[in-house]
Amino acid sequence: MKARLRIFHRLILRALFREPLRTALTVFAVALGVAVVLAIELAGVAAAGSFRSSLETLAGDADLEITAIGGVPEELLGTLARLPYPLEFSPRLEGVARVEPEGASVTAVGLDLIAQRALGDAQHPSPEEIADSRAVWIGADIEPRKGGVLSLSVNDRRFEFIVRGSLPGAARERVVVMDIASAQDAFARAGRLDRIEARHPPSRPLEHWRQLILDALPPGVAVEPAGARTDENRKMLAAFRWNLRVLSYISLIVCGFLIYNTISVSVVRRRPEIGIARALGATRWDILAAFLAEAACFGAAGGLAGLALGRLLAEGAVGMQAATVDSLYVSSAPAAIELSAGAVALALLTGVAVSLLSALAPAFEASRVAPVEALTSGQREFQARVRVRRDLLAGLLLAVLAAAASQAPPIGRKPVFGYVAALLLIAASAMATPAVVTVLSRAWRKGIRLILGVEAMLAARGLAASLRRTSVLVGALSTAVAMMVAVGIMVGSFRQTVVLWLDQQLRADLYLRPAAGGAGRQAVIHPGLADALEALPGVAAVERFRSYDISYGGLPALLASGPTEIVRRFGKTRFLPGQDRHAILDQLPLGDYVIVSEPFANKHRVRPDDMIALPLDGEPREFKALGVYYDYSNERGYIVMDRGVMLKYLPDAAATSLSVYFDSGADPAVVRRAVERTSADYAVSIQSNRALRAEAMRIFDRTFAITYALEAVAVFVAVMGIAGALLALIIDRRQEMGVLRFLGAATGQIRRLVLFEAALLGLAANLIGLAQGALLSLILIFVINKQSFGWTIQFHWPVALLAGGLSLIYAATLAAALYPARVAVRLNPIEAVREQ
Amino acid sequence: MKRLALLALAALGLVAADFRPALPGYEYRFPRDHFSHPEFQTEWWYYTGNLRTPQGRRFGFELTFFRHGVARPPVRSSPWQVDDLYLAHLALSDIDKKTFHHRERINRAGPGLAAASAELSRIWNGNWHVEWRGNVQSLQAVTDAFTLRLEMVPQKPPVIHGRDGVSRKGPEPGRASHYVSFTRLAASGALELDGASYELAGLAWMDHEFFTNQLSPEQAGWDWFSVQFENGAELMLARMRRNDGSVDPFSHGTFVDRSGAARHLESKDFSLVPGATWTSPSSGAVYPIEWRIGIAPLGLELSAATPLANQELTGRGGPSLTYWEGAMDYEGTLQGKPIRGEGYLEMVGYAAPFRFGEASGP
Repeated sequence: MKARLRIFHRLILRALFREPLRTALTVFAVALGVAVVLAIELAGVAAAGSFRSSLETLAGDADLEITAIGGVPEELLGTLARLPYPLEFSPRLEGVARVEPEGASVTAVGLDLIAQRALGDAQHPSPEEIADSRAVWIGADIEPRKGGVLSLSVNDRRFEFIVRGSLPGAARERVVVMDIASAQDAFARAGRLDRIEARHPPSRPLEHWRQLILDALPPGVAVEPAGARTDENRKMLAAFRWNLRVLSYISLIVCGFLIYNTISVSVVRRRPEIGIARALGATRWDILAAFLAEAACFGAAGGLAGLALGRLLAEGAVGMQAATVDSLYVSSAPAAIELSAGAVALALLTGVAVSLLSALAPAFEASRVAPVEALTSGQREFQARVRVRRDLLAGLLLAVLAAAASQAPPIGRKPVFGYVAALLLIAASAMATPAVVTVLSRAWRKGIRLILGVEAMLAARGLAASLRRTSVLVGALSTAVAMMVAVGIMVGSFRQTVVLWLDQQLRADLYLRPAAGGAGRQAVIHPGLADALEALPGVAAVERFRSYDISYGGLPALLASGPTEIVRRFGKTRFLPGQDRHAILDQLPLGDYVIVSEPFANKHRVRPDDMIALPLDGEPREFKALGVYYDYSNERGYIVMDRGVMLKYLPDAAATSLSVYFDSGADPAVVRRAVERTSADYAVSIQSNRALRAEAMRIFDRTFAITYALEAVAVFVAVMGIAGALLALIIDRRQEMGVLRFLGAATGQIRRLVLFEAALLGLAANLIGLAQGALLSLILIFVINKQSFGWTIQFHWPVALLAGGLSLIYAATLAAALYPARVAVRLNPIEAVREQ
Repeated sequence: MKRLALLALAALGLVAADFRPALPGYEYRFPRDHFSHPEFQTEWWYYTGNLRTPQGRRFGFELTFFRHGVARPPVRSSPWQVDDLYLAHLALSDIDKKTFHHRERINRAGPGLAAASAELSRIWNGNWHVEWRGNVQSLQAVTDAFTLRLEMVPQKPPVIHGRDGVSRKGPEPGRASHYVSFTRLAASGALELDGASYELAGLAWMDHEFFTNQLSPEQAGWDWFSVQFENGAELMLARMRRNDGSVDPFSHGTFVDRSGAARHLESKDFSLVPGATWTSPSSGAVYPIEWRIGIAPLGLELSAATPLANQELTGRGGPSLTYWEGAMDYEGTLQGKPIRGEGYLEMVGYAAPFRFGEASGP
């Protein structure tokens, strides 16, 4: 053990301290990689963790939840309360309200404040307070304080509430609690409850009680374990979080390349020392252990630094993730970021594991250095060169495997094989890199010498000579480039697809939504407004769209209705290939028929003519799916029926949004003013076609902001690594540089030599990365996206983005070479040659 | 202790105009008058009783339904409108095991959550109810700890306490209640407790009172006794205590003989002397749990004692009350001859002065 420590000290530590800059760069790269993984993990937990909030437990922990599409009729609460079982039932109504005038949204919750003691033991609202429909109790994050007036827009109406007190302890959120009577009034949901929560004694299992409750209820009412909805939301978010997590691993892969490079450099450079150590009796295992220990040091140091950095990055990431969750899934407030023991372990283990794995190959090689071999140099590089062909073959094989993996179905809604394919592709291109570099440097040598002079030729030759290390550097950078390209193409294609879809979809002139709307909670507009708008001169039609949050097949979904007649006249709903739009829309209003959106169809494997079971109006019912249409507005997926059909089962004429179509001859400005005047009494937001489109794209871009941030970090890690590696390359070739200087090379020429090397490296990495990225983007678009989210994305080259990104990376690579170039220039030629 | 005058505020403002006081000359019509009287502010239905298993294991029970009017006239634009508060208390005294279970509930009428309906012949609060079928009253009370089901059959017609249909509680007119009792109900049924099921039989007592603002501010609480003698007679005594500790002259009682004939007792007719006390560990209130009772006009001397000291229902603050209500044993002489009985004792206002709908909080 002691001997090993000594070897570690002599062979590794000394070398590390001799080059503090390079050591620091490597550690920093690991730290960044770890930090990104940690930040995404922490932010993901915080963004999703808030589904189950103190809000859920306002009235105590429920065991079971009783729900029905369109709400539970309140009489059922009386029926349940009288059941001769030791169960407690409490009603709940929940919706989003907007604080006026600041516009922030809050969750408004209606509870039975008399029976439930939801305000804590210290507060007992008097019947007078409860009878006052304006009395509310608020979470700590909302102004004003007790006694103040709180102006809220609820659905399309505005209310002034009086704050009677604050919520106990934990409810630090933006919550407004009121009595169920006030809530029904404010949300215009008389006679309905969002859900009834039940608590049961532990004497019997939950299922026993669930069955008893089910038996007492009419069909069509669901009884589920509490938190089932929360779990559904989590499940729905799982794909989103999973993909983000995998994306965060890219930085780690880049890191791996760099560690590999660093350790390889160490091994090559310390060959004489290794030889001596071996000659003095060190075993192979001692050498292996020493180099693995070096990697572990990088990993541990990087992990520790990454821990702090990750915590910092998480602050930024949680905002980005929460915004996405909020706009795409359900409205939720992010929870606090918690640096758990698990997260700390994750950071350290990730750092060490990635480092060890990447160091395995070079460390193994070091252990195979024979004592005699130590004094001869250059042999290893020679070997590497002759392996180029074999590596290329292996790369091809890996590429074939990648292609095969991309054809496999998902596992549990997760595109596991998609990611395997991506990984195989990265490995394949890593194996092919030496061949590409060889070809490229040969071409460069032949072609460029004439134009760029002798320095360029020497640079090419230098790189080809140390092919192994060069390839690893190119591999690191090209992986980063590839990810940028792949994600860039994917997002760009997605964006273009959405833009085209919006063009087809958004045909109306104005869109009205309740001011208090928000994702995941359906605010409504009074039917009177739609009628009034329809009567205005210049208005051709008003499309009343209504959607309900439902649970389908254990996942959240949306049940919606629209007037098929207007959709047929104005809309351009596109169905999947092979489905006849006209026939489908002709049949839709005639009976129990629905159409479903593409994400819904993919999630639940629904094909045309399949039956969809929906309990409506107290009866289990079956609806025939007529077609699957393209939709990019919601990942949960829509089931859409004709408005007339829905009103038959859910007789609530209010709409969640209105689309107003103008007469073709009318003056849009005049009609818009008329619409605004008519809506003045309602708290609705009115958006023009263009504004709505802009908002949709804004949400889209916000959603992918974090993706770009992740890529930027990966590229940054790679460029840092290039700087460090070039530095090592220069130092290793100081004799060569010395000789060049000795032979009369000017300092400018030396600098150019180094810069040309970097340029060549960057070029190779960009070319390989571009090709690899284009292939990866196919996997992202057609395998990973399709399997996780179920969207059809049309392939599209985002030329500007790619050109910009690649140029930036190229410039960064060159910039990274500036410092090594300076070092090369400063080398004392006499000293360098004497060493020889 | 801070007194939280919560419900009282609402109540006081409404009393004069919106609710009707209990005045002499009220004409009772049964069975209608066994159910709700929303024109009066407060109303309660008290069931108490001493029951035994065939093996002789003894249980006491109390099930009380309260209705307290909040808003008049009823608005009822929504079933959630709070016109009345419905409270209910349930207690089970497991005398032999020396344990006492109690639960409480508070509801509004809501969509069928609680009410006292003559049309349905039912008084209920969630799954605690008493349903009348003919003259049989069936009781059901379900909790996580026990479930009690009883059938109760009156052995005597209802007794109307006081004079001229009112039971006076204070000097001003209206400081009174309409007070009807079933003093002897033959009760039989079943109890599920701790996973076991017990057959039960014994005697129950039912009090029904409705009034508006019956206590005056000087009155701090009361001690209420019910006795069911082995010889077939019953006795009810209500001692009103004033804030200064003295006994209110409007204390009263009723003696019901074997035939069902009721005799009204005035304050001067009886003496009640508290004896040994028990201090509640949870509320700190000191309750006399032994009493000497003397009723000179009847030649009745009784000593009262409880078989279980802790029968205190501890409220959780707010509208929920803390009071002692428990099974009692009575022994003594009637005109020189030994006499025995069982019954209940209710002691209110020991933890804090009592105002209905107003309560003490920490």
